[in-house]
Parts: sequence; structure tokens; C-alpha cells
Amino acid sequence: MVLEFRLPRVNPHMSKALIECMYAEPGTTLKAGAKLLDLSVDLGDTFLQDCPPISFYRIVMRENAVLRELRVGVGQPCAPGELIAVFSGSASDVVDEPAQRSIRFVTAGIVRHGGMWTENLR
Amino acid sequence: MTSIPLRLGPLKAEGYTIRRSGVRWLAEPGQMCAANQVVAYFNLELGAEGAASGPAPFAEERELFVACAPRVAGRLTFDAAEAPGGYLSIFGFNRWNADTVIGSIDAESPPDDADGIVGELRLLLLTGRRMTQLADVRSGLLSGWYGRKRAWWSDGGTPLTLLSLGICDVIGAVAGEDAAFLEMFRSEPAASQIVVVPDHPVAPVAPVLLDQLERSPAQYRAMCADVQLGLSRTGTTPTAEDWMFAGSMLAMLERNPIRETYDLLSGSGLTRSGPADAVLLSLSAEPPAILQHKKLGYRLHFLPHFHNAAGPAVRKWLADAFEPIARTIDDIKTDYERLLDTIEATTGALVIVLNRMSTSGDENVSSYQPFDAPLSATLANIASKELNVMLDDVADGRNVAIVDLDAMAADIGGAEHVPDGVHQSGAMQELVRAEILHALDGLRPER
Repeated sequence: MVLEFRLPRVNPHMSKALIECMYAEPGTTLKAGAKLLDLSVDLGDTFLQDCPPISFYRIVMRENAVLRELRVGVGQPCAPGELIAVFSGSASDVVDEPAQRSIRFVTAGIVRHGGMWTENLR
Repeated sequence: MTSIPLRLGPLKAEGYTIRRSGVRWLAEPGQMCAANQVVAYFNLELGAEGAASGPAPFAEERELFVACAPRVAGRLTFDAAEAPGGYLSIFGFNRWNADTVIGSIDAESPPDDADGIVGELRLLLLTGRRMTQLADVRSGLLSGWYGRKRAWWSDGGTPLTLLSLGICDVIGAVAGEDAAFLEMFRSEPAASQIVVVPDHPVAPVAPVLLDQLERSPAQYRAMCADVQLGLSRTGTTPTAEDWMFAGSMLAMLERNPIRETYDLLSGSGLTRSGPADAVLLSLSAEPPAILQHKKLGYRLHFLPHFHNAAGPAVRKWLADAFEPIARTIDDIKTDYERLLDTIEATTGALVIVLNRMSTSGDENVSSYQPFDAPLSATLANIASKELNVMLDDVADGRNVAIVDLDAMAADIGGAEHVPDGVHQSGAMQELVRAEILHALDGLRPER
């Protein structure tokens, strides 16, 4: 079975998010509870100096799945609904057909940490 | 309908001539305004009469304004001759005269005027200490770049002083949308002075404020020398951004806002008030890590976007001369306890703290099992809840008032009114202002 993860509209005011960290590479089997990625949402996202209203979130798996493709990289901005990753139920599934559904995942607000892409720009 | 001429009212400064600019209106002709709503302002200048003795009042604050608010609601009419425009509405070419009429207000019903002052404008004095004298911005009311700015009503006796040392959640509510306190004073008719010290470049976190309270002039000079030496040893030629960042950082660290006193101008003369009666802090300012100088021991924290304003030499110096110190919630508690106890011993000010919003509709955590312990090190809302509980514990038995942003946000709707947990809507800021003023009112002797 082919599954997908598209960027959720975490906040109703957001226009995009930035991928801050990825915790898995294609080919990795992720179990329920595994971290997939961290992202930041900047509700200002125009001028960096204007005290940006940035929040940070972690996406965590709620089911077992094999990560097959990543369509974005760390540091890359994404729009809500944009395809981020393709999964399959098992490593042998062919993923050249449309996804049947989204993966099941948890969204959690997190504290900024040193492993984030924007943290390492400083 | 009763037409009431609006006259300036008294301002007095013994030994000085008070001069004013032409009027700069903040309202349109024919506009309805509320009582105590600021509708116009002037630039003020104090000219010494004869030889000055001692330091001039407002010596560090080169910009002084007086804003005017009618005492009754009604529709405004302007006297065009009092608003000449150009530099005549910026520089103080006119001597202050309490009887000057700048317009009129049409009140819907004849107001009670037993004291004969209904047509006398309420005067709100505003001043700011520029971050640098180069920041000569005269485009509006308190429109420049200030290291401290403040405002107070000219009447009502000695004001209570509220010193705001927060980040956006506090500064936004206190300074208001125009950053000139106008919403605050519209809600506060009592004698109050409101002071704001900005959160840039140094963020007002508890250990930094504590260091400022305890720092001696000799320690400050050692910091200045270290900055100079440190920047020269980075191997990077400092840029304009480096010098401006270092200069504004040292300007902010030189002073101790909690101990500072204030010159006041009013209808009865010049006075000087003591340190702030209340200090307003923001729990959201407390980060999980700060910087500590390896040799001199002082602590610093910069909000990330201000850190990014530094040039390459300052960033290198910060990386070389400081080490990051992680802070658990217990560490933050210890810092808060020390700061509160030092303020109590130093000035006795009431400390008002805005707590943190700790809920979010943006997440859907159904199990905490995937997250490592301690949860507060990872999950933002758990961290906020634990910090709020910590604040309750610290406040117990101390001179502290908590403004419960967390509860207010839950009542009004956090997603709409505090979408990122810090930056509030106008409606939310109004609620926060009311709570802050309620806490300040508790200090008034008549209560």
C-alpha cells in the first residue's frame, strides 16, 4: 500500500513551513512513535528582523511504515498540502502509483533545539 | 450640543522656559473622540533661564513630547493657525501658554464643570532616551529608536511607575499599536508613569537583569575593555553591523533599569521620582539556554532575530568568549527567586509577571510515549505548563502578582488571539493591559 505525507496546515494562519530536521532516510522502516521531521512555521515570514512569530513542531509516526521517498530537503520551505514524503506498508511494495491515503501522524509543538537548520545558520 | 474650547492647560518648570512646536493632530477634523483619548501632540523644549545650576532635567532624553486628550467625549474642530506644519510643528518656536486654544469639542450634553477644567486638555508627557544620538527620528510621537521610553499624566500628583522589562507579549500590550502608550493611558486615568525598556539587543531574562542589578561600574568597564579586545582578536574586520550591535549592547548593559529614577514635568513643576514601584516581566523571555562569559562571568541572551543582526566579528566573539549554559526549569526557578529577592531588597518594587500560554489547538498529541523525558525539554506546551507552575511556587510568599495570560488566552481563544503563543491580538492586549493596571492599582495608597 502506498502512503504519503503532505505538509499539514498546522496553524490556520500559516502560508508555508520550513523543514528544520529530518530524522529518517529513504529505506528506513519507521515504527509508531518514531520521529519523522521537525518544522518551523513563521506567521510573519516577510521580514526577518520583525520579531518573527515562529513556532516549532515535530511530526511523529502513529503507525508503522517504510519511508520510500523524500521530496524535500532540510532548509527547504514547503506550502501546506505539498508532498513531503512517500511511504509504503512494506519494503517490497511498488510505489509508482498514487497514494491510497496519508500516513497517520502526531503533530506536537516543540522547543527550539540546536539540531535545527535555522539554529545552525547563526 | 455644547461647544467647548480646548485649551492647553498648565505646565510648569521652575528656572526653565517651556517652548512648544505647532500642534500635530492624531485625529481628523470632525472626528468623534472619547474622553482621555489622545488626539494631538507637541514637541517640547526646556530652555534654561539664566545660568543653569546642576544637570538639566531630561538631560539624557533629548526628545520630550506632550500629548493632549479632551476630558469629555465629542466631535473635534481644529484651529488651523495652531498647526503651521513643517519644522514649525517640530521645533519649539512657541512659548507654552496654558490658555492657548487649539480647537474645540462638541459634547453631546453640557458636561459637569464644577472645577472649571472641562475645556482644559489632559496632558500626557512622553520622553525617550535614544539608543544613540544619531537616532534623530522626528516623524511622529515617540517614533525614534530608544533604549528607554516613558509617559505619564501631568496631573493627579506623583505617579506610580510601572517599568516594563519584557519581550513582545509584554511590550506589545504596554506600548500599544502606536508604540506610544496611547491605549494604555486611555484605560488608565489615574496618576501613572509607564516605562518600557526594549528587548533588544539584550533580552530581559532573569539572570541578565540580576547581573545588571549587581554590576559595579568597575565591572562594566571591564566588560567594555573585553569587548574591545575581543573584537580585535576575532581575525575578522568588524563591520558597521558589528559596531552598532556592540554599541547598543553596551549602552543597554551600562544601565540598571530597576534602580533608575525619573525626571517628571507636570502642571505643578519639575520633580524627580524614585525607582519603579512595579516591575513587569515576561515568563516567555526565559530561554532553555543562555550565554555566560567565560572569564567575566556575566550572562547574556539575545532573541534569535536580534542575534542575527550582529556582524561576523561580534558573532565570532560571542562564540569564542561565551559558553552556552543550559537551563532546566529548576535553574530558571533559582534565577527567578534570586532576582525577586534582590528586587525586594533593593527597591521593594512589586513584580508583575505575565505567564505563558500553555495550550495549542495546533497539535494532536494522543500519547506522550514517543517523547523523551523530561517532556518539558522537548514539548513546548509542557514546558510552558511547568514554567507556569514554577512561577506560582516562586510567587508564593513574595511580592509578586501574576497576570494569567494562559487563562485569558484560553477564555478568548488562543488560536485567533495569540496564534504563536506570544504575539497577541488587539483584543487580547486590552485584556492584558487591564490586568496589569489592576495589579498596579493595588499599590495606590487609597486602596
